[in-house]
Order: sequence, then C-alpha cells, then structure tokens
Amino acid sequence: MSRLPWWPTVVFFVALTSMPLWMHDGYILQLVFRVVVFAVLGIAWNFVGGYAGQLSLGHVAYFGIGAYAMTLSTERIGWNPWLGVVLGAVLAAVAALLIGSITFRLRGPYFALSTIATAEIIRVLVQNQDTLTHGAVGTNAPLLFQAPDLDAKFFFGAMPLLGGAFALATWIHTSRFGYRLRAIRENEATAMAVGVNPAVDKLLALIPSAMVTALAGSMYASYFSFVGPDTVLNIEISVQAALIAMLGGAATVWGPILGSIVLTLTAEIFKNYFEHTHLVVYGLLLVVVVVFLPGGVISLFQRRWRFRRQAGPVGARQ
Amino acid sequence: MAFLQAFLNGLLVGGVYALIASGMALIFGVMRLVNFAHGAFLMLGTYLGYYGWTLLGLNPYLAFPLWGAALFALAVGTYWLLVRRVMGASDFLQILLTEGIGLVLIGAAQLTFGADYRQINLPVAHRITSVGALHFSVGYILSFAVSVALVLALRQFLARTEMGRAIRAVAQNRTVAPLMGIRVERVSAITFGLGIACAGVAGALLLPIFWTNPTVGGPYTLKSFVIVVLGGMGSVQGAALGGLLLGVAEQFTAYTWADRYAEVVNFILFLAVLLFRPQGLFGGKGA
Repeated sequence: MSRLPWWPTVVFFVALTSMPLWMHDGYILQLVFRVVVFAVLGIAWNFVGGYAGQLSLGHVAYFGIGAYAMTLSTERIGWNPWLGVVLGAVLAAVAALLIGSITFRLRGPYFALSTIATAEIIRVLVQNQDTLTHGAVGTNAPLLFQAPDLDAKFFFGAMPLLGGAFALATWIHTSRFGYRLRAIRENEATAMAVGVNPAVDKLLALIPSAMVTALAGSMYASYFSFVGPDTVLNIEISVQAALIAMLGGAATVWGPILGSIVLTLTAEIFKNYFEHTHLVVYGLLLVVVVVFLPGGVISLFQRRWRFRRQAGPVGARQ
Repeated sequence: MAFLQAFLNGLLVGGVYALIASGMALIFGVMRLVNFAHGAFLMLGTYLGYYGWTLLGLNPYLAFPLWGAALFALAVGTYWLLVRRVMGASDFLQILLTEGIGLVLIGAAQLTFGADYRQINLPVAHRITSVGALHFSVGYILSFAVSVALVLALRQFLARTEMGRAIRAVAQNRTVAPLMGIRVERVSAITFGLGIACAGVAGALLLPIFWTNPTVGGPYTLKSFVIVVLGGMGSVQGAALGGLLLGVAEQFTAYTWADRYAEVVNFILFLAVLLFRPQGLFGGKGA
C-alpha cells in the first residue's frame, strides 16, 4: 500500500470506535454514524467503480435488497433481524451475480445505464408489490438493537462493518486480484492478453461490493427504522456511493472515508442554512471533482506526503 | 377499438419522446457524450413554460421557440464552462460531470421554485376531440404536432445547411473534420445547445398536458437513452422512430397490464436491445 505507517490507521479506528464513550451529543453521534455508513458504501462501490473502473450507478439495488430483506424476513417470517441482515447479504450476492452477468457484457455508458435500469426495475417492482413490500408507502424496519443508548449501540454496530470493509479494501488494494482489476480498468483488451479474465474478475469484485452495500443498507434502514422505495431504493444513493468514492479518491483505501466525511459534513452545513440544498451540494462537488480534481481529495495529501504514486486517477484520460 | 386508441395515444406521446431523444441522439452522435443532465434541462423547459404562462401569459404552444432559445444559450454556456473540459476524457468522467450538472440544475430548481407540483390550466389543452369512437386530447395533438414538426426541421437542418453538414462531418470523424476547416469546438457547442433546446422545448410542450416539479425530468434522461439505443446509437432518424415506438410500447403495457409497469417495460426493452441487437432496431449509423 502507501507508505502511510500503520499507526495512524490504528489511532483513527480507536478514536472513532471509542467515540460514544467520550462524546454524548446525540446529534454528533448520528452525524458520525451517517459518515460511517456512507463511507462503507463508498468503499464497497470502489471495488467495482474505482479498482475495476466500471461506473456502476445502480448500487442502490443492493442497498435496498439489504434493507428490505432484513425488514420483510422479520415481519413476514418472524426471523431475528440479524438473520435478516445475513439473508440480505446473501440475496445481494445472488442479485450481483445475476445483474453482473447481464450488465458486465456492456461497456462504458451502456454499462452505467444498464446498472441504473436494473436498479430502477427493482424499485418499480417493489413499489408496485403492495402485498409483499407495502408498495410506495414503505414500512417500519425492525430495530437491530434495543433501547436505551440506541445511538451508541448503532455506532458500535456500524464500526465492525467499516473495519471489515476497510480490511477488504486494503486487501484488494495490495493483492494480485486488485492489480487484475486495475488492469481491466486501464485496458480490458490488454488485460486479457496477459491472462486476466475480465468477466470473472468483474463479478468477483461486484459480489463482495454488493454484499457490503447490502449490510450498509440494512444498518441504515434499521437506524432510521424505515424502508421505502423512495428512501432505500432511491437512485440518489447510487450517485452518493460513486460521489463519495470519487470525491475522496477512487481506487484508494482511504478515499471513500475522506469522501464521506467531506460530503456528509458539507451537505449538513448547508442544510442548516437552506432547505433542499443537498442536491446542489452533491452536484457542485461532483462537477468540481471531475473537472478540477479527478484524483479526489486524497490526491492533495498524496502530493504533500509523497505516498507511493498509485496507478493514477481512475479513467483520467483514454 | 381500445387497442387502436392505445396505439394512437402511444404515437401522440411518442412524438414528444422523439423530440427529446433526437436531442440526446444528436449530442451522443456528434460528441460521443451521454448527457445525463438531459432530463434536468427538460425540467427547466417545463418551468420556462410555466412561468411564461403564469407571469407573462405566453402560451407554450406559441412561445416554445423562446424557451428553446433560452435553453440553447444556457447549454452553450455550460459547454464552454464545463463540458468542453471533459471532451477528451473517459466516458466515466463525462457521465459523472453531466450527472453533476443535472443535480445542480435540479437542486437549484428546488431552491428557487420549491419542490411543489405545478400545473397550468390551458383551456385548449384539455379540450377533447372525437373521431368516431376515438377520443383525443387536443393538448396531446398539439404537443405531437409541434414535436414532429421540430424533428423534421432538425433533420432538414442537418441535411441541408452548411452547419448541418459540419455537424455530420464531426459525427463521422472528429479527427479528420478539423482538417476540412471545421471548427470542432464550435460545432460541439452548437450541437450541445441544439440537443438541449430539443429537451427544453419538449418540456414546455409537455407542461400543458402534464405537471412539473424539480425532479420531473429524471425519467426522461433514461427514456431518451433507451430510445437512442432502440434507434441505433446517435442516429437522429432512428431516435425519432424509437420515440414513437417507446410511446406505443408504454401505452400498450399500460393498456394490457398496468400503468405502473410501463416504466419496467422501458428498461427491459433497453437491456434486451443492448444485449441482443446492439446496433439498434433500425440499424442506423451516424447522425
């Protein structure tokens, strides 16, 4: 990986995990919880969008599958919600296999649009299944933790998810698998010429990505105790996942965490002044990143700290 | 008879789709750019139509050239400021940029106009005319007529004028076109402006028979790309035919199955065409 020594990582995770012990402001905890969940989302997206360079704008499908699987298995079959969380991850893996084997046949804009199309098909089906999914109205999601101290418990619940996603990202970043994905991103034909099988590797990147996204989705839904097609299947979440990874730095381990901090805090600050600003904020950040900082926020630090240079920002030039 | 009615309704809606998608196809064919902000610009068109009617009393069926010109200017500005910078970049960045522009427009609309649904009450649009047992809303007929006229005009423009020839040259070969004395940047700016003007005018034409809010455009970005794919990438004629086809397909789904599944049919059609007939249904090539 980079020449970043091991201890900042440890300090970061210890400081973050211990937060509920020394920070009792519920608002701050909620904010940091959101930063953590969206960082997980960005990390997961990065496997496919950053390393493999496949612009998925349909990750909300897996997010929604996680949220709905947990909710409906608890409500309809009477399962323990945690079992529902596991079910969500498994279903997301199955969905990733199906969706991936269709959409990965397509390239460039067709791939991006096909991911939107599949996510939208799922949204419309969920929205119109009044009997099973409660349709457009949505329903209450079960709580994964019991009161009191819900904020702290959810926070502690989300940390292993972030840690796991981070560890997975670190592994991908340094493993042969990660290099194969980067090879696919840079030039698929050349990658094939040196023995990479893009069809298989893209699927292998998408499956863990979808599973982690589903876990984040069930955590998110349980925290806000609600699932509905306009919340957990909203296309905005797909855009957010991509934006967070790009904003921080695509195909980097720390990028999505940085991106989530920047995005969540910026959106929150503006929200306190105007109603309905989050889209403008997302849009402006997206435009600024693409035009002026395609390497993401992390590229500013990389230059200063002289990390080992990585394979360059994703898709910088054809 | 209901079958025929559904077919004709589909054609009427499809005419407007054809206009929206022709703009998308033009941009895609000439600039190789998928404009993810297409629907957001369409939404601006609906608001121009709305405020034109409520504040100035301008009937959108007559004032549409004004709204088209306004969006043309806005789009050319956007091109010079932002889009120009990603013209050589990967489609990854191009998609993210146009998506970002779209989000800014939608967000700005929410800030300035609020998130409420808005409608105008244009008496002529809600009149019903009957031919035998078939009934048509005059609004749909007017929107269809204007849209089709504009698509045909666009075609003539591309086929007959010097600028149209330049646009087609750039679509054919971006590298060789400048050697023939064509200013590719200028052609791209104008193409982007024209494509978005199509979306904006369509928005203004949809307003009297529909409603608007800041997120109304979202589905049209996808729909128009579905149509572009159906019609063969970047072919304006293909897009026009694809638009009619999609309109009919939607109406049939609504008629035989359920209104709310019409959207799903779009996407399934889209995936199926991409996977099994990537050259489009009509096998067109170039703009």
